[in-house]
Amino acid sequence: MTEAELQAAAPALILASSGVLLAAAALPGRVRLGALAWLGVAFALSAAAAAIAVGTGEAAFGGSLARDGGSVFFSALIAIVAAAELTLIAADRRHARHAAGGEVGLVLLSAAGAALMVAAADLGLLFAAMALLAVPLAVLTGRGRSGARYALLSAAIAAVTVYGVALLYSATGETGYAALGRATRNPLYLGGLALVLAGLAFHAGLAPFSAWSPATHERSSPAVSVHLAVVARIAAFGALLRLAGATRSGEAPVDWEASLAVLAAITLALGALSAIGERRVKRVFGYLSLAQAGAVAIAAAGQAPSAVAFYVTIDAALTVGAFAFVASLRSDEPTVSDLAGLARRRPLLVAGFGVVLSGLFGFPPTAGFLAKLYVFEAAARAQLLWLVVLGAIATVVTAVACVRLLLACFAPPRSDMVAPARARVATALVLAAAVITIVLGVAPGPLLEAAQAVRF
Amino acid sequence: MLAGLLTAIAAAVAAWAGVGATAAAYVWASPIGAQLAIGADRSSAAFLMLTGVSFAAGAAASGAVRSPRAYFALWSLLQAAVSGVFVARDLVLFLACWDAILAPLALLMWHWGGTDRRAATRRLVWYWMAASVPLLTAIVALGVGARTFSFADLSGYRLAEGSQVILAVLFLAAFAARLPLFPFHAWLPRAYVAAPLPVVLVLSSVISKTAAYAIVRICLPFFPRGMADVAPYAIGLATVGTLYGALLATRQRDTRLLIAYASVSQLSFIALGAFVATPDAVQGVLVASISHGLVVAALVLLAGTLARRAGSFSFGAAGLGSRAPVLTSLVLIAMLAAIGVPGTSGAPGELLILAAAFARAPGIGALAVLVIVLSAGYCLALLRSVLSGPGDVRHADIGWRDRALVIPLLALVVAIGVAPRAIGDLAEPAGEQPGSAR
Repeated sequence: MTEAELQAAAPALILASSGVLLAAAALPGRVRLGALAWLGVAFALSAAAAAIAVGTGEAAFGGSLARDGGSVFFSALIAIVAAAELTLIAADRRHARHAAGGEVGLVLLSAAGAALMVAAADLGLLFAAMALLAVPLAVLTGRGRSGARYALLSAAIAAVTVYGVALLYSATGETGYAALGRATRNPLYLGGLALVLAGLAFHAGLAPFSAWSPATHERSSPAVSVHLAVVARIAAFGALLRLAGATRSGEAPVDWEASLAVLAAITLALGALSAIGERRVKRVFGYLSLAQAGAVAIAAAGQAPSAVAFYVTIDAALTVGAFAFVASLRSDEPTVSDLAGLARRRPLLVAGFGVVLSGLFGFPPTAGFLAKLYVFEAAARAQLLWLVVLGAIATVVTAVACVRLLLACFAPPRSDMVAPARARVATALVLAAAVITIVLGVAPGPLLEAAQAVRF
Repeated sequence: MLAGLLTAIAAAVAAWAGVGATAAAYVWASPIGAQLAIGADRSSAAFLMLTGVSFAAGAAASGAVRSPRAYFALWSLLQAAVSGVFVARDLVLFLACWDAILAPLALLMWHWGGTDRRAATRRLVWYWMAASVPLLTAIVALGVGARTFSFADLSGYRLAEGSQVILAVLFLAAFAARLPLFPFHAWLPRAYVAAPLPVVLVLSSVISKTAAYAIVRICLPFFPRGMADVAPYAIGLATVGTLYGALLATRQRDTRLLIAYASVSQLSFIALGAFVATPDAVQGVLVASISHGLVVAALVLLAGTLARRAGSFSFGAAGLGSRAPVLTSLVLIAMLAAIGVPGTSGAPGELLILAAAFARAPGIGALAVLVIVLSAGYCLALLRSVLSGPGDVRHADIGWRDRALVIPLLALVVAIGVAPRAIGDLAEPAGEQPGSAR
């Protein structure tokens, strides 16, 4: 490996090797999960630091692994979110009991796949990275029928994607993205792109390819939910933007706007409307994360990578905060009525949760407001004003769901309720997410500047 | 309480000091195009002073609330958001402050309100949130089209007439729900009954004025032709609204509901001036807004005093005429100001708007005059309920604390009535070129 190749692959390499290492360390069985998870946090943060320190540069491996603004920003973000997930695993006492030490390694391996996905500029590599993302996830979502459903759908969508890759290869004769620009407009080419888009939409959580999402969120641990909702989404949108960038120019330019706008509209409407009536807290967040995916897709349809980058960063903080809140609850599958009395018993947690929820529906002065505005601006620039209207309505509808959750915390406690568990780390994560949301809302300058560097 | 009072007074003083101060702009989110641009020209300063006065009066009137720390924290947040609307010189900042008003207001109503508070808060929240959809859409569309969100740049930007009409309608839809204009007022009566009295005070006195201010500050300078096209319909709605509110007010037997419908009437009247949009009318809007803000603040405080004596807000023969002369005369002055009798602050704004309405369409002017007759009707009904009847020894006169609150407000009302140019002069630069704040 030359130095340039090493630099381009650094974040993914660190994540993957530490994943293998920690998975091997967990094999003997009698290892403390907490220690493993904190070790994983350190590895993930060092991967993020490596991504930022190495910076942009020449693409490596014959142009198949990019090292541009987009890959650096997104892989750093993926590594940071992975660190937050491992913190959640470390904080989770329920899991500590059955010592699923392999989880730590699997999360890191899957994050490595995500980091590769955002940098992949080659169809073969893209498919391999997607598999590296999805296979550990299928294990992580694990037990029960919903886990099986995710695994099955994930395998099916992998088959669809590889079929799309094959079609694209037969249309262009090469697997590199550079060749896509030279392709002529033929059915094989367009069909291949559509199939790959379906694969990416699955991981991005875009309806109608998101049928797995609510049930899987309900059955998964909060850390895995964050991985599904944030890391997989960042990876999918990163890959999508790179693919769209490669095919938008050239001999047969493809217009991604219409298809992405339709996906965004369906996802937004579905997520926002389903969230209103839902009684199970994890499912509410699942639906809210669908709505967030729709908003990101609006920015992607508006061809604004910077808006995508800004939005997914804010969304990452908000989603980590939301699922950390779930992790802090005593019940494994909490319903809305389980939140009653929480405001009196855990005022700090509920205050942080309130900020996170306001961020989720874009209330000023949280960063969610600016993020929504940035996305809508991108859509308006691309003449997609109808998406802005739809997005604004969806914002109000999600606000209904968010306010309902918050008010549930203020309801008087039921007499048969046990005191909520003490969850210091999870509470700290919620509060950190709240602080980040407010700080980035008031002073978004540095993050916005970093997002400006995101190009594909 | 003291802290809340002090902040409010400090804000009022700062507004005095800030008159004509140069506007400032800081980088907030430059890739989005949003700046933290703030500025206080003279009309903003008038509204800022009203904000300070009302919030100070409201803070002083909320003496014995439960959990005062949370209450006054929200109170200050509310004041900050309202003041933000008046000083924002950037549409994104304006939108942020405009939406941010909702959270502390709803929480204050939800937690400290009366019996109907949950339903009333819910209704207010849905109305206002629904109204923020067109506002958000219009601001994004305008900002992207003009490539700027800053007021200073927008005032020099001329849109095509078609888009002006669409944008004017979208902005007006949002502002009409908050003002409220006639068909969008369903949240108001319940909110006035359910909210705690100090919150009713600021809601009616200042928060409703954010909408009147926004029409004059944003719609008129940025979409003059769009507003001219929309004007006939808007004037029609405002006229219907002002008559409708006044008619309903004459039928009320509860002081809070009377104030609520009277406010619908008066605010629609103010909106009428804004839609007529001649320089005189715009100046009338400013003077009438300030006047209504002060008068309604005094009225809400007096209604609270009366209710404490009678035990409820509903009309009853209190017989205060002989027992409580000071209270009665204060109610009388407030009523006269609400009717718009010359010598009180109600008169100049009303006259300016009426004259402009007559000039625009005599029929509208005639209908608007009818409103004044109706307002005399409902005011007299309230007065009669206060004055007449057998006296009761229990009814002491108004206490010193309430006197200290109401008398300064009414003194301001009379002072403005005697020397309306104090505000008129303030308004003049803004009235001529409202968008020219630098």
